[in-house]
Amino acid sequence: MEVSATYLLQLFMNGLMLGLIYALIAVGLALIFGVLEVINFAHGELLMLGGYAMALTLPLVGLSYWPSLLVAVIATSLVGVVLYEGFLRHIGQKEFERSILTTLGISMILLYGMQYLFTATPMMVDTAYGFDGVEIGSIRITLTRLIAGALSVAAFTGLYCLLKFTQFGRAMRAIAQNREAALMVGIKPRHVARNAVALAAALCGLAGAALVPIQLLHPAMGQAMIFKAFALVVIGGLGNMTGAIVVAIALGMIESWIGGFFSIVWQEGAIFVIMIVAVLLRPDGLFKRGSMRVG
Amino acid sequence: MTAILSVADVSKAFSGVHAVQGTSFEVEAGSITGLIGPNGSGKSTTIDCISGFQTLDAGRVLLGERDITGQRPAEIAKAGMIRTFQNVRVYDSYSLLDNLLVAGEAFRDLNWFDALARTPRYRRVRDAAEDRARGLIDLVGLTRLSDAPATVLSYGQKKLLAFAAAMMAKPRLIVLDEPVAGVNPTRVNEVADILRKANATGISFLIVEHNVEFINSLCHKVIVLEQGRKLTEGTPAQIRNDPRVLEAYLGIARPAAAEAEAS
Amino acid sequence: MTEPRWTPYAVLVAIALLAALPSMTSSNYVVGIAISGLIFLAAAASLNLVYGYAGQLSFAQLGFWGVGGYCAAIAVVDLGQSFWFGIAFAGVVNLLLSAVIGIVITRTTRHAFVVVTLTFALLAGLIARDWVGVTRGPLGIPGLPPPSLMGFVFDTSARFYYIALAFSLIALAFLYVLKTSRIGLILKAVKQNDPLVESQGIAPGPYKLAAFVIASVITGMAGGIYAFNLKVIDPSFLDFYYMQTFLIIVIIGGAGSFWAVVLAGAAMVVLPEALRFSNELRMVIYGVVLVAVMMFMPRGVSGWLEDRRIAALRKALR
Repeated sequence: MEVSATYLLQLFMNGLMLGLIYALIAVGLALIFGVLEVINFAHGELLMLGGYAMALTLPLVGLSYWPSLLVAVIATSLVGVVLYEGFLRHIGQKEFERSILTTLGISMILLYGMQYLFTATPMMVDTAYGFDGVEIGSIRITLTRLIAGALSVAAFTGLYCLLKFTQFGRAMRAIAQNREAALMVGIKPRHVARNAVALAAALCGLAGAALVPIQLLHPAMGQAMIFKAFALVVIGGLGNMTGAIVVAIALGMIESWIGGFFSIVWQEGAIFVIMIVAVLLRPDGLFKRGSMRVG
Repeated sequence: MTAILSVADVSKAFSGVHAVQGTSFEVEAGSITGLIGPNGSGKSTTIDCISGFQTLDAGRVLLGERDITGQRPAEIAKAGMIRTFQNVRVYDSYSLLDNLLVAGEAFRDLNWFDALARTPRYRRVRDAAEDRARGLIDLVGLTRLSDAPATVLSYGQKKLLAFAAAMMAKPRLIVLDEPVAGVNPTRVNEVADILRKANATGISFLIVEHNVEFINSLCHKVIVLEQGRKLTEGTPAQIRNDPRVLEAYLGIARPAAAEAEAS
Repeated sequence: MTEPRWTPYAVLVAIALLAALPSMTSSNYVVGIAISGLIFLAAAASLNLVYGYAGQLSFAQLGFWGVGGYCAAIAVVDLGQSFWFGIAFAGVVNLLLSAVIGIVITRTTRHAFVVVTLTFALLAGLIARDWVGVTRGPLGIPGLPPPSLMGFVFDTSARFYYIALAFSLIALAFLYVLKTSRIGLILKAVKQNDPLVESQGIAPGPYKLAAFVIASVITGMAGGIYAFNLKVIDPSFLDFYYMQTFLIIVIIGGAGSFWAVVLAGAAMVVLPEALRFSNELRMVIYGVVLVAVMMFMPRGVSGWLEDRRIAALRKALR
């Protein structure tokens, strides 16, 4: 097979895009684990809700992209607030299994509830941008993909600044490092945790909304991605956001490149094997508290 | 007199902080030995080290003739040394009787086939263990509650239950971590009597305790720790009259402390 | 919690009713539900052994369920063996597999345990889909023949029902004996207070491993029987739906309580069917129940009852 530079560049761009979306999900998971020590099983459903919020808003606003995106992000972050105030807040820190089972139950309600309402049939969603694209050199990228990529990069930059320079970000990192000490200096963990969950949900909603014009929308789309996101977060180091982003982009690349040349058989399996090995090699290092780093 | 427990040059540091440094002492067979010292002097770490719950950085621990340095807690317990915990640990949802059955050595060492097939041997062992357990529950004065879940016990009662569980395993040496902290003051003397009775049957004790009266009335020998080192040891009367012990407890800054310890 | 004195009679009546069920109804639908219920119950009870008794939240049960299903199917279809051999084969493969996995993961932290077992389950699903040479990929293995024993063919639902019933009763009886033995006593002690168990001369490792392995073998054999009930196996056999069902049964009944889990299993299988909910709606209800139980009685119905009992006892003692 003759492989042109254009083809390789196309694969690279696709991989980058996919990786950025993965990273949005993984970063939220890492954030919630860092602050609350909860593995959020309902995280994939937040992504799916973001997607549906986008899809349902689009026809109302004449298919225009940005208002719908905004609605989706706000809606999912509100779901995040409800998730925290209604459920996660009541779960103690030592109740790891309880937090898993609770979020698992929420994920079941959302997933099967949406399946009940909208059926499991995948939907195609169109935006005002349609299939408009831009030519970069010899390759062509649809506008919606370009926007998705740009949005992710913008989100990470924003998140980085938030964690690094704002009071809220510092409080979040303080809690992740040492809860007792953070309490003593007057940080209110409830506010910080709620904001962290809302922020993570918003990132997820953004990912879901940005994905909608690119791929098919269906209720199980979150579930398909969340398990991969678990793997990413574990390989990158739970609570370690930079690690999660790096591994997520690497995964996007790998998927795109393997998919470009081979059949995708085994590629997902390989990721899970890497994950098992990563956990077994350094179980303590991966799960230690206070490992939340932003760079 | 032979030693049931010999601790030689044991050291343990946590990320650079020396909790125990080069402590040596012995517990003589058949004795009740006290281990005292101000907060942070390394008593708990010492116990964790000799019972296998912490790995040693250096040193050796002998139980009788047997070297138990670096062994797992379960192996050390099987070798004949049972410890209790400062923050009392019991099986909260189990009845007092079941609490003791789990701790029983005969029951513990039954093989899996006997346990699953309920062979006559199993029933014999179980009945014997149950009798013994009821006897121990009587001993610590909890007969009335023997079938209630342990979670209903008061803190002090749990301490008594933990002691009975330690006895259940028929150990040679019991290490008690603050056995009367939180126990109703009116019952402290009773506990002392129970320990004396157990001691008379040949069980040796190493007791960490802040209650000085309790230690003085009970112990044959007292070891004093300060800042991870052994400050001194002697009979309760000797310890009472040792000015260094008083200073260690009162925390009076004393420039000569280092030299005194070194000597 | 001690059992009421009438428990043995209740069990005998239940067994008699279950044995008579196919003759009481001519509906294949009812018998079909009963078959699923019995098999799910065995799988849930073994999850209860791992999570309720040993305190390890294992998602690997889904993987073992799938491995068991595929092993049994492959043994019959590709190796030309009998159904009975297939089920035994499923048990043996799961025994070896769970021993290898268990030796490694029973030593890790509880976080790592959850993540690794979950990953194993997902990996099993991917293998079912991607290892086309053995599993035939997404198409699966259709046309699993009905079991037969000495010329008697279990070719109707009512006949197959007795295989499910026998298996379920044997599995539950075994788990009951295990639970009430010294081993069960120590397992639950490990869950309550791991360091105390160690300080009493019991190494928890072998007990945790044994619970994990025994549960895996039973779950694998249950999966094998279920595959032959469906008469087809494909990657949807490893759908997360099954894991959720097992979990719900254990959680509602109360992890660590034998009879409560048995009763909850019966209720959770029968009720939604009786109310004729669609599959989606049933899973939504499962989710709501799971969340509600976790919020308001995290130790399940039996744990909640026990708390009431202890509160009453405390009052009486005061």
